[in-house]
Formats: sequence, structure tokens, C-alpha cells
Amino acid sequence: MRATSVIHLGSSWAPPMSILRGFLILVLFFLLGESLRLVFLVPISGGILGLMLLTLYFMATGGVGNAVASASQALISVLILLIMPGLTEIFFISGKFTGQWLAVSVSLLVGTFLSVVTTLVLLNVLARKLPSGSNNHE
Amino acid sequence: MNSPLTVWERLLTLSHVLADTPMLAIAMTILAFFAANSVYIAIGRPVWLPPVVPAATILAGMIALLGLDPDSYREGASWLMLLLGPATVALGVPLYQNIHHIRAMLWPIVLTLPIAASLAVLYTLVIAWALGASPTVMASLAPKSVTAAIALGIGGIIGSSVPMLMAALLITGVFTTLCVEVATRLLKITDERVIGFALGLNGHAIGTVRAFEISSTAGAFSSLGMSLTGLFTALLLPVLFNL
Repeated sequence: MRATSVIHLGSSWAPPMSILRGFLILVLFFLLGESLRLVFLVPISGGILGLMLLTLYFMATGGVGNAVASASQALISVLILLIMPGLTEIFFISGKFTGQWLAVSVSLLVGTFLSVVTTLVLLNVLARKLPSGSNNHE
Repeated sequence: MNSPLTVWERLLTLSHVLADTPMLAIAMTILAFFAANSVYIAIGRPVWLPPVVPAATILAGMIALLGLDPDSYREGASWLMLLLGPATVALGVPLYQNIHHIRAMLWPIVLTLPIAASLAVLYTLVIAWALGASPTVMASLAPKSVTAAIALGIGGIIGSSVPMLMAALLITGVFTTLCVEVATRLLKITDERVIGFALGLNGHAIGTVRAFEISSTAGAFSSLGMSLTGLFTALLLPVLFNL
């Protein structure tokens, strides 16, 4: 469903100007995040800081504008496109770490399986045990 | 020596000349994206195969077929990857739209995060150490569940090898989507919030892509898991590797 909707981007959801305005807002929040990272020397990427600032901004103003919503949907629907180039690296780096591959692959695969199971079980159990009425935050 | 190239010779070197501009890399990436979409739909969207895998495989095949240098491809594609910054910020929209779900699950998330994000690091480090991995390899594996931009920052502090760190991130991301698929069946977990959070905490952006295929709520919880894990691990690892 997500895959096919990519083609219709921009034509059906919102006028291009609106997407462009939303994109500008996203880029500005990214730049704000990058500025914070560079000024305060925090090891968090500008993108993640921007994400958090944008969420806080929505919480403060109480809503998401149409422009940001359509630009965001457009970008999220092509997220795969943006991480594909990095992924190809897997195919071209093998051989650089001969002798370590057993330790690397076993620890990654077993470690990841264990931590996935840990996360699923822990959150699932806690979500059931703890009352969901913890809305008193804020 | 100075004899002009024939049309045929110019044609053969064309891909290398075009590779000097980012446009070839951008066109190849988008082409592979659509090709992978068609392939993925044609084979019936198998749950055991995250769509990023056929996408990256087709793309790597195109790079190899054209005989391009992978580094020069990536240099061109970096123009496209610039969009990852605003795309990460864009995750704030589904996050905010699901804020009521997140508030309802606030305490379970606050308790799960430090335990699960620490264990994601420790399980792998202990196994790697037991199998005799070198200190550089350990430092490259440690940030494996952290989104790339943050992981590279951590790697610079704790002394990771960048290519190995990238490989660890990618393998972890892809394998996380597989593990979540298998484990949710075995454990009979159907809560999209739990599934999304596990995808983002362990599988960063690759897990988040998978989560958005499940639902917007799963995607929001995955974005949250990815952001919080990035923050937590960036604080944890420099301390851990100083001990």
C-alpha cells in the first residue's frame, strides 16, 4: 500500500507549494538541531534533535499544520530510498575484516535476537501490569 | 597516443564519465527503488524479507554491472541522502499524532528503555568478547542499534572502525525486522505499540521503515524507540568504554 502510493506524491494530497512550505519547516528544524549539536557539542545528531524539537513544538502549539503533515508524509514514504545507498556498503566491504567475521556475525545475530526478545517481552509485560492511567504527566 | 576515441570506446567509458556527476547515482537509486517495489509486490511481499534487502541488492547489482567504484557511487548518492536529515525530523509528525498512545504507555516505556537499550549493547559485546573480538571490533559493534548519524558520532569517541560500524548497523537493522517477525509469532504479541517500539529500539531507521509498513502507530512508537535509544546509547557508551 505504501509502496504504490509513492507515485502519486504531490498530485493528490496537497498543492506543491504547500509541500514546499512544509519541507522548509522540516529543514529549518533540522538546522536548529544541527546548531544545538554544534554549539553545545552534544553527541546527538541534528536530525534527532530536530525531531524532538518539532514534537515539542507541536505539543506547545497543539497541532500539526497541513503543510508540514504533507511534506512529512512524502519524506517518510521514501525513507527506504534514502537508506538504500548506505545499505549497498554491505556488499562491498566484506574481506576487510577477515579473521573477525565469526565473532562479528555470531555476536550481532545472537545479540540482536536476544535484545529483540527482551524488548518485546519487557514492554509487553509492563504495558499489561502498569495501569494505563498514567496520563497525569504534564 | 592522441588518437581520438571511437564512438564505441566513448560508449564503453560513458558510465565512468557520468559517474562524475551525482545524477547517475541519483537515477540509479530511484530506479532500483521502483524495480525493488515491483519485485517485492511480484513475490507477494514476504514478511521474512524486509523490502530494503531487495532494494539494496538490486542497487548493488547495478553498481557492479556498470563497473562503478562503490565509493564514487556513494559520493553521488550522498546528494540524495542529504534528505535523511529533514526525513528524520519528519518523524516528529506521526510521533505527535500518536502522543496519546505514548502518554498512555509512558511508564512501561520509561522502564523498558534503559534496560533494553543497555542489553542491546551488552548481549553483543559479551558474545563478541567471548569469541575473542579485538577492542576495535568491540567498539565498532557497540553502537549497532543506534541510528547512523548518532552512531558515527559515538564511534568517533569510543574508537570504532567506520566501515565495520556501518556494516554492524545495517546487519542489525535488517536482522531486527526478521527477529521481530519471528519473535512476535512465537510469543503471540500483537500490540502494534510494542512491536513498533522493539523495531525502533533495536533496528533504528531500518526497523522504523518496517514499522511504518505495519501502521502509523507502529511507526510512531518505532520513531520514539529509535530517538530514545540514540539519546540513551550516546550517553552510555562513552562512559562504558572509559571504564
